[in-house]
Amino acid sequence: MNDSLEALRGEVLEHIQKSDSEKELEELRVGVLGRSGKVTLLLRGLKDLPAEERPRAGEQLNQLRRLVEERIDTRLVAIKEQSRERALKEEQIDITLPGTRWERGRTHPLTLVIDEIVDVFLAMGFEIARGPDIEDDYYNFEALNIPKDHPARDMQDTFFVSNGRLLRTHTSPVQIRTMERRKPPLQVIVPGAVYRHDDDATHSPMFHQVEGFMVDDRIALSDLKGVLSHFLRQIFSQETGVRFRPSFFPFTEPSAEIDIQCLICGGESSAARQTCRVCKGSGWLEIMGAGMIDPHVFKFVRYDPEKVSGFAFGMGVERIAMLKYGIDDIRLFFQNDLRFLRQFG
Amino acid sequence: MKFTFNWLKEFVAFKATPEKLAELLTMAGLEVESLTPLREPETNQSDWLFEVAVTPNRGDCLGLAGLAREVSALTGGQTKTAPVSSPGKGPDTAKRINIQIDTPRLCSRYSARIVDAVDVAPSPPWVRFRLESCGIRSINNIVDITNYVMLETGQPLHAFDLDRLPARRIVVRPARERQKFTTLDGVERELATDDLLICDGDSPAALAGVMGGVETEVGAATRSILLESANFDPTAIRRTAKRLALHSEASHRFERGVDPEGTLAALDRAVDLMSKLSAGTPAAGVADRYPRKPKTATLWLREERIGKLLGVRIDGKLAVKILRSLGLDARREANHNRIKVVSSVRRPDLCRETDLIEEIARLHGYEKIPTTLPPLRSGGKKDHRLAWERRLRSFLAGEGFAEVINLPFTTETFNHSFVGLWGDAPTPVAVMNPLAKENAEMRLSLLPGLSENLRLNLAQKAETFYAYHLGKTFRAGPDGESEERQCLAGVMFGARPRVGLRHGEAATAGFLDCKGLVEGLLDLLHGAAPVTWSGETTDILHPGRAAALRSAGRKLGHLGQIHPDVCDRLGLPPFFLFELDFDGLLEYAPRQIAARSLPRFPLVERDFAVVVDRAFPSRQIVDWIKNRGETLIEDVSVFDQYMGPPIPEGKKSLAYKVSYRAEDRTLTDSEINSLHQTLVEQIGRLFGAQLRS
Repeated sequence: MNDSLEALRGEVLEHIQKSDSEKELEELRVGVLGRSGKVTLLLRGLKDLPAEERPRAGEQLNQLRRLVEERIDTRLVAIKEQSRERALKEEQIDITLPGTRWERGRTHPLTLVIDEIVDVFLAMGFEIARGPDIEDDYYNFEALNIPKDHPARDMQDTFFVSNGRLLRTHTSPVQIRTMERRKPPLQVIVPGAVYRHDDDATHSPMFHQVEGFMVDDRIALSDLKGVLSHFLRQIFSQETGVRFRPSFFPFTEPSAEIDIQCLICGGESSAARQTCRVCKGSGWLEIMGAGMIDPHVFKFVRYDPEKVSGFAFGMGVERIAMLKYGIDDIRLFFQNDLRFLRQFG
Repeated sequence: MKFTFNWLKEFVAFKATPEKLAELLTMAGLEVESLTPLREPETNQSDWLFEVAVTPNRGDCLGLAGLAREVSALTGGQTKTAPVSSPGKGPDTAKRINIQIDTPRLCSRYSARIVDAVDVAPSPPWVRFRLESCGIRSINNIVDITNYVMLETGQPLHAFDLDRLPARRIVVRPARERQKFTTLDGVERELATDDLLICDGDSPAALAGVMGGVETEVGAATRSILLESANFDPTAIRRTAKRLALHSEASHRFERGVDPEGTLAALDRAVDLMSKLSAGTPAAGVADRYPRKPKTATLWLREERIGKLLGVRIDGKLAVKILRSLGLDARREANHNRIKVVSSVRRPDLCRETDLIEEIARLHGYEKIPTTLPPLRSGGKKDHRLAWERRLRSFLAGEGFAEVINLPFTTETFNHSFVGLWGDAPTPVAVMNPLAKENAEMRLSLLPGLSENLRLNLAQKAETFYAYHLGKTFRAGPDGESEERQCLAGVMFGARPRVGLRHGEAATAGFLDCKGLVEGLLDLLHGAAPVTWSGETTDILHPGRAAALRSAGRKLGHLGQIHPDVCDRLGLPPFFLFELDFDGLLEYAPRQIAARSLPRFPLVERDFAVVVDRAFPSRQIVDWIKNRGETLIEDVSVFDQYMGPPIPEGKKSLAYKVSYRAEDRTLTDSEINSLHQTLVEQIGRLFGAQLRS
């Protein structure tokens, strides 16, 4: 009995050690410990042994049974670990392959720039106003202090449409329409399309402007400088140099042209400036026009220039986009070639 | 306006270098656009060419003398005038020529001198150098001197061949309607009564303020000249120059205003130069008619207004100093805190208090004005349109659409085919002066632009094209007013583009993709009013693959496959499109969102399938079930459509899913089975549908 038990023990343990699948171990368990397993049968045979041998033999068999169970469990854990490891190895992926996804759509670069401009002013408490693209002479010129036969009209070549109307040459008519409807205080911006009879690499017959104005009982030129300096530093960078110089617009007095330091050459060293194609050596880039709203304009909208003052400004969106993104031909914005559009947004 | 540095120095003493001068002028509102080194040909001396952008209000700076006053104000340097001595010889000019001004409103002054023994010859090199540097072609000594003096004084001059003025009677009068006149450039022009003529008796000799006539031109045979120095009305000159598209150095200056007090000084300078350069012998005296002398006015500048408008303290004394530096007669009334200024004929742009404050700001320097932030007195209103535009753009970008922006001009042919959402036969807005005559209308629809974008991208080998445009469309209203409507249109061509490894054959966009996209937009807008779809088609859409969208009877848009005929005409492959009335959508959006609490009892789903004619609209069964008002049915939807064996030819199988739920208990199987069975049987009877399990 002892010898055969010893042999069985050796055989079973070896078998366990050699097994390398859950299935094999399960079969082994059944073959050894199952209802008609070898150990089970031996346990059943105990009753045939002499009474004095039974406890010892029983003890030995039970020990064997526990040992086999323990070894099988240990082996099972080891096999699971191995197979998980194998699986992990097999499931390895070439992580240098590109990810798959739907191609993202794009927002037009001009929309992106308008959004950026608008957000700076919204954050300063400005609100948005809009107006028609097809305008009257009155709103586009007359009420903005640009009388008929004035050379200032040469600054804006106009498209005329049916019924003696025209395509607005700037967003300024919305200034008049807003002031006609409402009383100060006003802080308004007007993004929109405008039209000029012009077509080359730097001029498009349609382009976009963002107009803005602020009217209250004591707005000064210094406020114009403060608001617009803040705006330009938000749009470009905190370090951007900003310069205000006198100019002329019929609807503002005093008027200013606003320049920023050239974004390409930095405008600092004269050597870098000389060869700069963007600022043409001046070191400065014209970026917007502005001024204190002319008393004549206030009279057109029945505001009393003795009681209110305000500033107005306007900028070309395409110009800002061209400078920001380094685009050299304005027509690219309106050709809508996907190869161009996909570079933005 | 172009001038050279050395030439300017003859009019004002200053120490600034050319670069410094350029900066001073730019920062004073006379923007120097370019500064180019030059070398004088005879002396080999260095000089610099300045190109200044003179704004339309500063006609006084279209001559060196005016610029010199500006430089004097900026630098403190003294202005100088060239010494002139040319009393002239022989009988007095006033006796040799008679001047008659018929319309003093259009010609406030006409002055003239005569030069005899003229020797027409080329100008000396220094005259030619200066003129040509400033962009004026050298003709001969006489014409060159008129131009030279114009650049110096800003006063346009004109030389007539005196022998060609046989009547010796200058008449300034309007032209007759359709009168013909040949200008110096050899072009015969048809005039109107708006145009002002300089005549010799009755025969026209020059188009006043714009260009001389070919008949009286100075040439090699000229013996005597009449030199004109006159002042014309800016508006009249501008109208003529504009209508005849004849822009000259003279008209440019008259349009911007010339000082009528300066006619004689310019004449004297010119005849003096002619004499010095041996171009002729000046005759004695001058013929001068001055029917309308400009008046000066008294302007009051309140000192407190300066600070109020500029945001910087500039005291009265400094203000007076600045105004005087411009040559203005300014006196401070200290006890009234105001300054009395006499307006200047030389500076007609300074006629109001604000104009004077601008001059003070300009010369004080904008850089010395502080930067302040005004107090916020009106909070910005939330802009709903902007918010919706942004959500919509972000949704469409997520759906793979690129945003395009197109010009609003289109052709008659396009407008004929694509009428947008304007209803029947809308009238387009015509552009009277288009850049290209084929693009002479404003678009009725955004689709012509999008189809051209598709064409361009196909030519660039794009395999797919998903794009949208959010923009205005236009039409002429019945009352002559124009109407503008913000629309949203898009095109879908090819399979939706994917990035990365291929994943089977990509499916080309179809009708349901197009409809799904628009449904997604509607979902985004959380519409308050219900929308209905109908199979109503338009000329541009495939009649079997078109749908229209309405809410409360208003058409909000349409979508579908482009009609094969339109496709053929455009020469484009088939694509899908949608066109929506964005203004209309915004009116119907958004509904106030009210959250519902989550259901406490489980949902049970049951499917059924029916076989119906192919033409049967699947929606009918959904609507019928929903209208039944069975409270235990929470939702019903169609989830599959199948055609092909074993379904008979001409039929299709539709599969529906019905969701059952009670609010207050868990439904039992037998309850649901009996409900569902009744439902399915009723459908079979009502729609003649053959049921499939």
